[in-house]
Amino acid sequence: MTEPVVVTGLGIVSPIGMDVASFTRSLRAGRCGVEVVTDPAHDDEPALLAPLVGFDLATALDGLDGLDGLAGLKPELRREVLRAGHRSPITIQAALSAATQAWLEAELPTRPVPGDRVGIVVGGNNLTGAYAFDQYDTYLREPMYLPARYALQVKDTDHVGTLSQALGITGEGYTVGASSASGNAAVMHAARMIGCGAVDVCLAVGAMSRLDPPERAALAKLGVLAEPDGTEVEAPRPFDRERSGFVPGEAVACLVLESRTGARRRGSLPLVELAGYAQALDGNSLSDPSVAGEARAMNTALAQAGVSGCRVDYVNAHATATPAGDDAELAALRRVLGTGRPWINSTKALVGHTLSAAGAVEAVATVVQMRGGFIHPNPTLRHPVGDGYRLVGATAVETTIDCALSNSFGFGGFNSCLVMLRA
Amino acid sequence: MNEHEVFEVVRDKTVEVLPEVAPAEVSIDGSLVDLGANSIDRVDIVTLSMEELGVTIPPTEFADVKDLRSLVTLLERYA
Repeated sequence: MTEPVVVTGLGIVSPIGMDVASFTRSLRAGRCGVEVVTDPAHDDEPALLAPLVGFDLATALDGLDGLDGLAGLKPELRREVLRAGHRSPITIQAALSAATQAWLEAELPTRPVPGDRVGIVVGGNNLTGAYAFDQYDTYLREPMYLPARYALQVKDTDHVGTLSQALGITGEGYTVGASSASGNAAVMHAARMIGCGAVDVCLAVGAMSRLDPPERAALAKLGVLAEPDGTEVEAPRPFDRERSGFVPGEAVACLVLESRTGARRRGSLPLVELAGYAQALDGNSLSDPSVAGEARAMNTALAQAGVSGCRVDYVNAHATATPAGDDAELAALRRVLGTGRPWINSTKALVGHTLSAAGAVEAVATVVQMRGGFIHPNPTLRHPVGDGYRLVGATAVETTIDCALSNSFGFGGFNSCLVMLRA
Repeated sequence: MNEHEVFEVVRDKTVEVLPEVAPAEVSIDGSLVDLGANSIDRVDIVTLSMEELGVTIPPTEFADVKDLRSLVTLLERYA
């Protein structure tokens, strides 16, 4: 493999924390962001969602100033970020906050890199279904009243254009997509761009998904969504016998990646090393998981990292709380890891399935747990499935994590794995 | 609707689209370009104004609109 890549900055906006510090506290406490919401497109039927509530970009940026470990937000940068986000949909405003957090943590304002040596990869496709759905009535009523920026904002690439404008990124930039593995795809591509010398620093963003009513209804039709049971929120329940499907979550996360040498030269602090990564397709357009495909992705990533399965201390599982998915992943983990030693949890128990963002959100969760020496609980795990796995229950575990895996799998046969080592 | 009422709508939408501009800075003798509006901001302000006034104006009509006074005049004609 080419030169090691390290993570030097993190940012997140999520239902359980709108910055990394508060997200980390929520993970430790096992705080779950799932709520019962009503669906106005379906007779106000109750549905489960981990929503992003109360986010405001200006307020979020004000909150960054003075946060531990973040270089102060200079007025010029604040102005550029607000200017870029002012007329943008909430998904992009939240991405701006996450990217700015990561940018500050990586000390890019104070230890700068030329703009054309910084790249950006945004993970996610079909991000604007809700945006277009929300505008459809206006279109029917009077197309001339569609927002001026519609033609720009309806494209996924508006994320790349807007983030690059706010932060002055003029190296290479793209969107990439791998269904629910898009976040990992973004991290992988960012690492590859650094490895081949195209850029020196690269942002990897897992973009926020907001489901439009038809897509939500379509997922329910597949039987993969957890439905509310009375007023108690008892889902999602990854790895529990009572699991009944996933709950969508609204979040965006950003990681700053650079080569280890580059970080040392720049004087920026590596948070973890991204030692290996891999993706493997099943050659299957459907939604059913493949034990063999998942195992292949994990084994390839471990081999790239030069690490054997028995060294893994922690697995941040993809586990969405669908029976087929959870079971396939546990079987794949058994094949790859051999032992039942590693702790296993799923961050989806707390933030829901953040879809296009999941790989990046869960990479952030993996990094903060590694650095914090803890593994977050799975609060609704009462009757674990499977035998011989160390599944984290309702209490957080305090432990040293030197080596972690973060898995993401996606409909259409996508299997991906990131291997992280203590920096 | 008179010219002043139309101008007030345009001023409100200008401030909505350009948060760094205060209402007092928007004068009928000025231009959106001078207030820092780029091309898409100008379309944004015009779209919001048209919707507020309940009018639709074909894009070709805007060929001679160069400043706020000519914009207000055009909108008033349709309002």
